[in-house]
Amino acid sequence: MKSKRKLLIRIIAVAVLIGIAAAMFVVGRGHTVYFDNKDLTAADGTEYKAYYKIEVFVGDKSVAKLSAGDRGMVTTMGQDFSMVLHITPTEGGKKVGSAVKLKLPYDMDGIILNLPALLSGAAEEVYQDEFIPAVVEEESEEAVVTDEFAIPTEE
Amino acid sequence: MSKKTGTTKNEKLGAFLRRGSVPLMFIVLCAACIPIAGLSPSYLANEVVTRMGRNAFLILSLLIPIMAGMGLNFGMTLGAMAGEIGLILVADWQIVGIPGMVLAMIISIPISILLGFFCGKILNMAKGREMITSYIISYFMNGVYQLVVLYLMGSVIPIKHSSIKLPRGYGIRNTVSLLEMRQKLDNLIPLTIGGVKIPVMTFIVIGLMCLVIVWFRRTKLGQDMRAVGQDMAVARDAGINVERTRILSIIISTVLAGFGMVIYLQNMGNIPTYTAHSQIGMFCIAALLVGGASVDKASIGNVFLGVILFHLMFIVAPRAGAAITGDSMIGEYFRVFVSYAVITVALIMYETNKRRAKSAEGERLRQEQLKEEKKA
Repeated sequence: MKSKRKLLIRIIAVAVLIGIAAAMFVVGRGHTVYFDNKDLTAADGTEYKAYYKIEVFVGDKSVAKLSAGDRGMVTTMGQDFSMVLHITPTEGGKKVGSAVKLKLPYDMDGIILNLPALLSGAAEEVYQDEFIPAVVEEESEEAVVTDEFAIPTEE
Repeated sequence: MSKKTGTTKNEKLGAFLRRGSVPLMFIVLCAACIPIAGLSPSYLANEVVTRMGRNAFLILSLLIPIMAGMGLNFGMTLGAMAGEIGLILVADWQIVGIPGMVLAMIISIPISILLGFFCGKILNMAKGREMITSYIISYFMNGVYQLVVLYLMGSVIPIKHSSIKLPRGYGIRNTVSLLEMRQKLDNLIPLTIGGVKIPVMTFIVIGLMCLVIVWFRRTKLGQDMRAVGQDMAVARDAGINVERTRILSIIISTVLAGFGMVIYLQNMGNIPTYTAHSQIGMFCIAALLVGGASVDKASIGNVFLGVILFHLMFIVAPRAGAAITGDSMIGEYFRVFVSYAVITVALIMYETNKRRAKSAEGERLRQEQLKEEKKA
């Protein structure tokens, strides 16, 4: 009876740990969100024109001030992303505020948001794209140092 | 009577000096080096507080094996390796911040348990030579760690990001960035007092760990460990499963070392993949000994005093060396020399005390035998 109870406690402990780990996977997923204030032509030919200026606030902090053609970025945690945009459509125009809430895709590390398309109410596949870093050919293999005496294992 | 009291006082003073000789020596050295180094008090306080947050948890992990009479657990390196593996995987999965730390700790648990079990089994085969055995095990396991990290990660264990992977397609780079995790625990509750940044949340975690250790000492397992630490034969006669208790103490220490390494590296903000764990055991043990602990006796107080003194030495020695000789490396050499010397002295003192106790016991038995012979 006692051993059964012990086993049950152990199973519960492992299950709790797995549960916490799973929650951390979801809650802690980091993304880099790139904001583009650029002209965009969708596949159907619709054109979205860049605004004169957009200021992006995430969590009450200004993270990017974008003129037309600029790109900004912020790193976030989790899939729920909200930001406030202060948009100046044209030079000397009136600043307009807009709060945006998005669900970020779990499997993307870097997500590009085209703000003009997003603000125009375009479909997700139009304003959202995956950021794929350019592959940089490294000139030489990194010498791995495996001991404190700094003796590399390979040249 | 007064003579007797005087002797007792002298004995007490002698015992206190013997026990406190290492911390006293470090206090004197620090007191001498601080004015020469010329560092501002706020800088020193900042550095000491940061290093205390960074190292205290790791050093606390050493207390339980000492309680179980297994000496200084050089095998804590194994836990550090487990923590690093957890962090590498988490960095590749892009789990950031506190959730990343928690996940890395959870990943390190099964690895630490496995390594701790393995280490404990071997240490049971080498009773009385635990420290040197655990020291060599850490070297052996470092080879296994390198096999996993340098060859299996990326080829067998999936690693996606090229910023972590070596350009050849497998193996992990010399340094893995933890930028998105850097000091997240330390800065969770921001507090600055007199220009000194206090890592409140880290201190809360360390405080909780201290409470757990105090509570653990009073549990059945804790009492068993103390009994095993005092006398294995007596503990066995009392029905305690000595081998199991010793293995458990090493497993707990290894798991805690894994957690400690995650806290340590989140403070640093990067993982020196192949070297981070190699010196960690040595420095933690040196810090504990500097705090006045011995091979068979250590307390939470020793941990904090040790961190303060040892790391104060870390900070002021290079600057003092530079001020005296014009070369900061002299101070650095001196610090390294002192760290290793402290461990050596502690080991010699332990062995000497053990032999002294053994000969005193022999003498006592001889006197008893003589008395019995006289009576007969």
